[in-house]
Formats: sequence, structure tokens, C-alpha cells
Amino acid sequence: MIEPRIGVYICHCGHNIAGTVDVVEVAKFASGLPYVVVSRDYQFMCSDSGQNLIKEDIKEHNLNRVVVASCSPLMHEITFRTACRQAGLNQYEFTMANIREHVSWVAIDMASATEKAKAQVSAAVRRAALLEPLETRMVKINPTAMVVGSGVAGIEAALRIAEGGKKVYLVEKKSSIGGNMAYLDKTFPTLDCAACILTPKMVAVKNNPNIEILTYSEVEEVKGFVGNFQVKVRKKARYVDLEKCNACQDCVEVCPVSVPNEFEFGHNDRKAIYRLFPQAVPNTFLIDKQETTPCKATCPIHQDAAGYIALVAKEKYKEAMEVIRRANPLPAVCGRVCFHPCETECRRKLVDEPIAIQQLKRFVYDWCYEHGVGMEIPEIEEEKKEKVAIIGSGPSGLACAYDLRQKGYKVTIFEAFDEPGGMLRTCIPEFRLPRNILDRDIDYIKGMGVEIKTGIKVGKDIDFDKLREDYDAVYIATGAYAGKKMGIPGEDAEGVFDSVEFLIKVNMTAKPKGIVSGNVMIVGGGNSAVDAARVALRLGAKKVDIYYRRTEREMPADEFEVEQARAEGVGLNIMTAPVEILTENGKVKAVRCIRMDMTEPDETGRRRPVPIEGSEYEVDYDYVIMAISQEPDLTAIEGKKGFEITKWNTIDVNSDNMTTGVKGVFAGGDVVRGPASVVEAMCDGKKAAIAIDQYLSGVKEKDIKVDYDANIVKRKEEVDWVEYYKEKARQSRVKMRELEPEVRRKNFDEVLLGFSEDEAIKEAERCLHCGPCVECYECVRVCEPEAIIHDDKDEIIELDVGTIIVATGYKQMDGAEVKQFMYGRHPDVLTALEFERLVNAAGFTEGKIVTSKGKEPESIAILHCIGSRDENYHKYCSSVCCMYALKLAHLVKERTNAEVYQLYIDMRAKGKGYEEFYNRLLREGVRFIRGRAASVTTFYLYPEEKGKIIVRCEDTLLNRIRRIPVDMVVLCMAIEPTEDAQRIANIFNISRSQDGFFLEKHPKLAPVETANDGVFIAGACQGPKDIPDSVAQGGAAGAAALSLIDKGEVEIEGAIAVINEEICSGCRICNNLCPYSAIEFDEEKKVSRVIEALCKGCGTCVSACPSSAITALHFTDEQIIAEIEGVLI
Amino acid sequence: MSFEPKIVGFLCNWCAYTGADLAGTSRMKYPPNVRVIRVMCSGRVDPQFVVKAFEQGADGVLIAGCHPPSDCHYINGNYKTFRRFPLLVKLLSQFGIEEKRLRLEWVSAAEGEKFAKVVTEMTEEIRRLGPLYGKKSREGGE
Repeated sequence: MIEPRIGVYICHCGHNIAGTVDVVEVAKFASGLPYVVVSRDYQFMCSDSGQNLIKEDIKEHNLNRVVVASCSPLMHEITFRTACRQAGLNQYEFTMANIREHVSWVAIDMASATEKAKAQVSAAVRRAALLEPLETRMVKINPTAMVVGSGVAGIEAALRIAEGGKKVYLVEKKSSIGGNMAYLDKTFPTLDCAACILTPKMVAVKNNPNIEILTYSEVEEVKGFVGNFQVKVRKKARYVDLEKCNACQDCVEVCPVSVPNEFEFGHNDRKAIYRLFPQAVPNTFLIDKQETTPCKATCPIHQDAAGYIALVAKEKYKEAMEVIRRANPLPAVCGRVCFHPCETECRRKLVDEPIAIQQLKRFVYDWCYEHGVGMEIPEIEEEKKEKVAIIGSGPSGLACAYDLRQKGYKVTIFEAFDEPGGMLRTCIPEFRLPRNILDRDIDYIKGMGVEIKTGIKVGKDIDFDKLREDYDAVYIATGAYAGKKMGIPGEDAEGVFDSVEFLIKVNMTAKPKGIVSGNVMIVGGGNSAVDAARVALRLGAKKVDIYYRRTEREMPADEFEVEQARAEGVGLNIMTAPVEILTENGKVKAVRCIRMDMTEPDETGRRRPVPIEGSEYEVDYDYVIMAISQEPDLTAIEGKKGFEITKWNTIDVNSDNMTTGVKGVFAGGDVVRGPASVVEAMCDGKKAAIAIDQYLSGVKEKDIKVDYDANIVKRKEEVDWVEYYKEKARQSRVKMRELEPEVRRKNFDEVLLGFSEDEAIKEAERCLHCGPCVECYECVRVCEPEAIIHDDKDEIIELDVGTIIVATGYKQMDGAEVKQFMYGRHPDVLTALEFERLVNAAGFTEGKIVTSKGKEPESIAILHCIGSRDENYHKYCSSVCCMYALKLAHLVKERTNAEVYQLYIDMRAKGKGYEEFYNRLLREGVRFIRGRAASVTTFYLYPEEKGKIIVRCEDTLLNRIRRIPVDMVVLCMAIEPTEDAQRIANIFNISRSQDGFFLEKHPKLAPVETANDGVFIAGACQGPKDIPDSVAQGGAAGAAALSLIDKGEVEIEGAIAVINEEICSGCRICNNLCPYSAIEFDEEKKVSRVIEALCKGCGTCVSACPSSAITALHFTDEQIIAEIEGVLI
Repeated sequence: MSFEPKIVGFLCNWCAYTGADLAGTSRMKYPPNVRVIRVMCSGRVDPQFVVKAFEQGADGVLIAGCHPPSDCHYINGNYKTFRRFPLLVKLLSQFGIEEKRLRLEWVSAAEGEKFAKVVTEMTEEIRRLGPLYGKKSREGGE
């Protein structure tokens, strides 16, 4: 190794260093350090002459190392590296000691500062002796750029680059470009119309072939380094095809959902299908679908409940029927007997009561049936030759048949009873589901061409294998008919039924009177117990009592049904169970019962009933009906191989695709689930239909995939709905009319009488549209270019770019954060941006300056610095408020006779033409009061204050407290970093200054650069600024990116990590430690190796290597240890 | 003359070093006792550097990096420092070096004020603890 010859240069930096550090003394000290050949002090080392001094010394004294002690290396390292390089040294043979920022500027006295400077110089000199020349690498710059944020700064940056002939991706979070400037009416001080100067720029962006706009998109991840970034962008589902939409607005007219328009700060409404503002670019619509409504998401068959409800509210019953039929093959049945889990999830219940979703469906069906609309048989997509057999014509079988038939398959249903409908007919009492109503749904399905063969019990009348031979696929939906016994003495006596047996007997007999009479006991707490009780009553029983061993709250039966039964006179004995049925001549005579007590909740949280000893008693009964549970009847597949039967006697299927394991045989409904609900059975049938379609289309059984929830959209952010709806007016649910209990208990007539049109509309209008899109498909119906895509999905786009400009803008501080100004509590207290919309001809008052009562104000107060220049909120000045406040005052003066008060702390008019504008306003008669507003109140002290908003302030020029009564108040809210500023900072690896805005590399010399090379910032995301400054920064950032692109390649630091393969033990600790996965493992040599192109030189692996095999070039262990020794002299 | 502790400060280039620069630019006054060594990432601070510093006569060592969870210029180097630190403290205490002589701080590029505060506090703290005498004992003194 050549002996080091070090030159040391101590910079005075004028007075900056020399004022507190004895530079001559430090230079003298340095001359005595090892290997130092030259040591000098000089006025300004960074000047040309300072640099020349180094260059000359290198030549004259044959220096091979240089140390400059001056400012921070972040400031001038590159300057001196370049000088050394020009004089023939390698740039890594130079090092710096920071004796300005870290020493002279923070020093308390000269002696200690000089000592510290010596220590830092001594460290640098020791380090210099160990420096080694390094190679730098050149990497190509990808000429494509990306601009994030499309306010006026982002637009300017994108245009600058695109006009330079380079490709730009312009990514915008909102659905249109334009940013905050799009809200503004006029601009200060020239009073140009904001839209008139912004819109042409937006159109220029759209028309520039070099710019690709990605609206409604957010950057999720940035990888790589300057010149070579890999970016992942999430393009959010818009539900409208950008290419096809022609902005005709037909969809807007039919959309039944109105929500507050955020662009107008909620002062008017927009539809769920909307565009941000009329001049939006791209000028296409989008659907505000933040989630699938909970009613639809919860429904096992995903019925579009909110959709048909919204249409009922608009009196579009025929369209509502179409929406219902999209998912539901049994609308008449479900409108009456569904257990409506949708209503349990309905958000309206957080306001008062859930919407009567089920009964509204009944209304739609009944109305359409009466008016003869919406009953047309749907067209079959395309006739297919494959045949499918379905065993069982209950809801599951019917649903499966409907869906398969619609796809064109030939479907035959085999039904054991003489009439189709399964449990819907055999077990559900007529007073809940009249038979003619059931027949309508079944006839509809038959009308499609589904064949139903009744009176054929598979397994008895026809062999299951024969079905498999004759048909291409089989769906087993035979239900759960076998009643379970309790296992108590006497239950085989005459007069004991299980509920299914009883209901079938009643429902399938022409004259059922007399099946039971006298006193009837019902055992169980489910819907079938309640049904049996009400049926028994109608058959003429004298007394009917339900016995349930738990509490009433735990009864699985529908609460509404229990209430109805009770009203009809059914008795309810809770926490009681029969223990023995006492007989006389083989017939029921009485029942011995026992009282139960509930245990404390066990680990599962459930309380168990336990008998109370000695509490037994006897009651006389003539009949006992047991509604305990049912089991599937497996006659159809008895003795057939390949089926898995569970311990509950159900068929085991793959619940994802309803396959049984037997080729071509699927199963669902109660035979799989055990006794469950109508809609769950239908869901299985529909899933099976999808699976069978795939199977018959040639998909292998194990590959059949049914993702029934694929189009359910989940909300991205949690919402506290109770809080959200707390202002919502209460309005209780419309109660459906019903037969009087005394009348109905004597016959089998339908109990519920249906809604009138008015009732239905009133009920439907209660829907909160919480999606907010309700998926009523009205937009689909009217969209001529077929641009609506309701099953649109978010898309992740991967982009390769060389440079990135972050121009994500600002947000206006929320007016409600500063409580004393009554924002949100008085309708005439507005924020400045809201007032911009008010005065804007396209805004919510069409430009009329009026109060919330529609009257022209007599006086307006504009309050400056709300949230800015305030220790409680933001210390900084928001920079633009003084000037826009003047502009707003001018607009008010121009259009009304109102008096305008400006309450300011200081007037700041520092730009070109600004002071002149201020003077103009003074002449226009605007009242200027120097003093920050203290608060706003409506409590009046004097008669002239009555009905006014009173602004209290201290007038610091008059030296007195004033009360100013006005009609409107405008709050100049602080400009804040956006809510997602931290996330953006993390993604782009940039820092934020203390005020929260993005940190530039240097406040004066590098205002658009960041610490992350290749990433630039522009506009208000860097700090509050007005339009001219934002445009200037946008242009500057664009130019900075262009100059990088034009250079074509960039030098990459040579200071990376290297692994000495001789020493590496192959422990692989470093492999996982590297944040950039820049270390690979050579399986052959069993050593790790650094991938140079990926290494960024952080050195984390170096300090973790147990065998010291890794060296951080330019930051080697030896160099750092030399520095430690150096600073500790 | 009162005891003036020597403190070695390892500052990461992107946050802490820049934060220290900002303290200077803002002309904040703080004691001159921390001598700065610039590393690219706090993750580069090998435990042996800390041991070496104490051995060479430092009375305290400051490691300062970017704020977790996500300020780190190298994604998560600061986490590695964070995880090494407790072990290092434990090791040093077994050598009889008080916990307070080693300090880990997160200082962002915008926190000049915090840097000045940390240095002032730490200097006071170590002044109270007194000299470590590391060097002298090695040389066989006392």
C-alpha cells in the first residue's frame, strides 16, 4: 500500500466557523497528525479559489488523500469530491469534517468549540488514511416519469415533461384531475376565473399523447432507486368503463340514490353514480360503491334487497321485480316465509328499526302479479343437450333447477309427494304461505321448461343408479323429514306426533279437522313448534301450550311468529320439559313435567338447562307434538357407495362446491345442513347449479370452484355507524296489517294482509342507502353504450418509471376543529372553500350570495388565521388566506350591497401585484379590523344584534373589544398536510418537516428535490403556497426530472457491501436481514453474495455478520474504529 | 474545572445527522461533548464500535437513527438497531458500564430541537455519573 499523503483544509466560512473556532489553531493541530503533508486554513473552501488550492496542493505535494473541515457533507461533499476528481484523485479518497453545523453554530464558547473541531478533524484525518479508491457505477435512467397528484402543480409538472417528449403517468386519487384549484371561483390578484385557466390545462393533459392519466388510483408501493423505480398502483374499481362512458347522464336521471355531494361540502346532493364536477377529466362517471349493502352481503343468496327497496321508493315496481328475480327464483315464497337475516344486519336498526325488507319483497311480488307485469318467463340463454336430475322439489331443488334451466340444461325434478314444493308445501302452514302463492312460484319455474315428476320416491320407485345412468348430473336435495324422538317413557302412545309428521298430515289432507283436539302440548322452541301450535289451534284444539326447556330469549323461533302465536292464545311454558307421557288405554292422558334451572354460562358462553329436583308435576293433555329436530331421509342413496355420511346422518359435501365425492352427484339443502332455512337451502341449490354447470362444461370435479361471494365488496375503512347516523330523524317501521287474532285462529287464511302502495313507499323511503350504491341496476338498464360494470374490481398496475414527482397537495383544516366559531352548528358559518363554492356559478347556490335562509346578507365577516399562526393548532402561516380573503371580499362587494369585515392579525401581501390588490380593496370600502376573532355567538346583548351572528374580537388599533353583528361568517381555515401524508412519505421514502409537510432537500438550493434521489416534490404538499408558486414548483420539478432523463444515466454510489467468500461461513443470517433482498446464497459454494445493483449500502448486514466476512465499502470497520480513536483524542 | 464527559455519537446519515445539521442551521446551543461519527444507517452500528468507544475512553455513546416504524431510509434498518440495543445494554452492564451511558434515540431530519435536547440531557446525565475511567484502568492506573 502506498503511504498516505494527506492534505487538510480548515474552512473559515467567513465568520461562520472562524467566529467561534480558532481555525489557525485547528490547522496547526492537524499538521501534527500522522500522514498529514499539508494543513491550511482558508476563507471559503467551497469557492473556486478554495477548490483550486486543493487541486494545486494535490499536484504540488503529491497528495493522495484530502480532508476538508467545513460545513455538512450533505452540503458540499459533492463539490469537493469533484475537485479531487478533477485533480486526479478518486472521489472516495476525500472525506469531510463537519465543523460548522455540528460545531461552530452550536458552540457555547470558543475554547470548547475549538477542542471539538480538533476532535472531528482528527477523526477525519485518521479515517482518510484508511480510505480506498472505489469504482462508481453508471445506471440508465428510465425516461418514463410519474407524477402523483394532479392539482395545478402536478398538472404543470406532467405537461412540462410530456411536452419535452417523455412519457408521464399522472396518478390521481380522486376521480378527476384538477385538485383543490377546481373548487375555486376567481383567483387573486388578477381575478381570473379559476376554471377558465385550469380547465384548458386539464384538457391539455387529456389531449397530450405522452400523458397517461390514472384517476381514482393510488400508489401502493415503490421499489428500486433513481432512474429505475418499480411502482405498484391500485386502480380502484370505478364500475363504469372509462372508454365506453360518453357522459350522457342518462344513468344520473334513473339512479334512485342521493348522497351528500362532497364537492359542494354537502350543501347539495349528488347521485350514487356521479362525476366529481361537470368539467371533470376524464369526463366519465363512476359509481360510489363503497361496499355491498349489508342486507345483500348477509343474504345467503345475495338478494339485491337495497336495490328493490330503492326502486319501490321510486314507484318502479316492475323494475324492482326484475331486480328481485336476478338472484331469487322464489320471490313469492321468500316475500312471506324467509327468516330475513338481512333485517338483522340492516343499518337502519342503528337509527330505530330495520327496514321491512321481506315484506317489501312481498309487496313487489303481489303488486306485479295483480298488475300482470314482471311475470314473463325469462329467455333461456342457449339450449344445451345435457340432462340434470334433481331429487326433491323443495326450495333447494327448485333454486337449482331454475338456475340450471336458465343456462339451458334439461332439468327433471323427482318429488316423492304428489305435489311439488317440499317442506314449503308439507310443513309450512297455509296461513303463512297460501298454497296458491306457492303454486305461482312453482308454475313460473315449470313455465321455463323444468319438468317435475311427482309421486316418485327415488330409492323406492326408481333406483338411484338408474338416475345416474339416464342423467349427466344429479343434485340431491331431499331435505330432512325424519322427526327425532325425545327418548322419554310413553312417547310411542297414541296421540304423540313429531311435528313434521303432524304438519304433513294436516297439510296433505283435504279435511284435516279432528287430527288433534282437546288439550295439546307442543315440545320445542323452534319455528316448527310455533307453526304446529298455531295449526293445532286452528284445527279446533281447546288449549295449546308450548313447552321449552330454556328461556324465551333463547327460543330459536322468529320473535314475530312467537308474538303472533301468543296473540292467538297459545300458551308458553318456558324452562320446563316433559319427563314422561302418562297414558290410559295406550292413549295420551297427561304429561309429567319438570322445571328447569339455567347454569352459569360455560366456556362456550352458553347456559345449560338443568332439572330442579322435586319440581315435577302432572298436567292433563290429549295430544303431544314433539318439535325437537329433524334428520335427513337418506332413502335415495341407501346402500350406495362413495357417500360420506356424518354423525348427524347428513351427507358430507365439499361446502365450496357441493360435490359429494361421487362423480357427477351433488347435494345440498337440509339433507346436507340438517334442518335449516328456506334461503340457505336455496343458496346451496344455486351454488350447486354453478358447480354442475362447470362440471358439465368439462371442468374436473376437483377443480370446480364456486366463489359465491366474489362480487361482495367490503368497505375499506371502518365507520362508526351509530355516530354517523346520530342526526338521522327517527321514523318507525310501517307495520303490516294483519287479521285480528280472534278471527284468524279459527281458519287457515293468510294472517298478514300486505302493504298498500303508500305504506310500501313510506317504508322503502326509510332505507339509508348505506352502500351507498344499492345495486338496483337501473344504470345498467338505461346505459346505451353499456358502460356499467357492476362486478368491476380494483386492479393493481405495475409501472416502471425513472423519476417521480410527488404533488399531493394540501387539505383545508376541518372547521369543526376550532369550536368557538360555531362551524357545523350555525348554517351561515362557512369555511373559505365552502364560500368559494357558494360564489361559484357552478356551485350549490349557482353563484348567488345568500344565507341559508336564501336571503342576501347585509354583512359578512371574513376571519383570517383560523388554525394558522396559532400555538394550539398550527404555528405556521397558511400563506394564501390574506389574499383570497381580499378576493372573496371583492366578489361580495361586486355582487351584493353587503358590508364586509376583514378580521386580520397582519395583512400579508408579498407577491407581485398583491399589495396593489390590497390597496384596491381598501378603496372598495371593505372594513379592516386588526385583531384576531375570538369567538362567534348568537347570544345577543343589544336589540340590533338579534337574529345575527355576533363576532367577538379585540380591535388592536382601537384598543377595545368589539362585537360585530353579521349575517354570514367565512373562516379562513389553515392549510394542512393531507390525511395520508405519512403514508405517502413512507411509500416514497421522503421525510416530513415539523409542520407535517414534505421536506425538501434544501430549503433554498434544492426546493423540489428530496433526500431520495429521483423523487421530487412540488406544490402545497411541500408547504402552503398559492397558485403561481405551485405552478412554478411544478415546472421546476418537471424540469428537474427532465434534466435527469436527458442525462440518460446516473452515477450510483460505490459505497456498497461486499462479502469475502473466503471468510463467509454460509450461515445466511445476512440473507434475510437485507431490506432489499440484495444478498443471494450460492448453493454450490455455500456462501452468500451481494447483488451489487440492488445494494444500497446501509451496512446492516455488515454489523450482523458473525464472521466479519462483509465489508461496507467507504464505511469499513477499520475506518469507523479509526474515527472513534480520532474523536477520543 | 468540572468533569467534561466525552460522548461518541453515531448518527445515521438521513435522519439524525440531518437533524443535527438542522440544530446547527437553527443556531441552537448545546454542549460540545458529543463527537459525531456519520454512518449511513443506525443499523451499521456494530456492537463492537460501542465497546471500542468505551474502551478508547468514551464516557458515553449515543446512537441516533430514524423514527420507527417507517422513517428509515433503508426500510427497516432502525428496527435492527432497536433489537440489538437491549442485548448491548445487557452486555455492557455485565462489564460494569451503567445503562445510562449508552443511549438510543430517534431523531428525524426535522428534529433539530430534539437533537439539541438529547445531547444536553445526556451530557448532564453522564456528568452526574462521572468518568468511566475505561482507558486508565486498561493502562493499569488506579
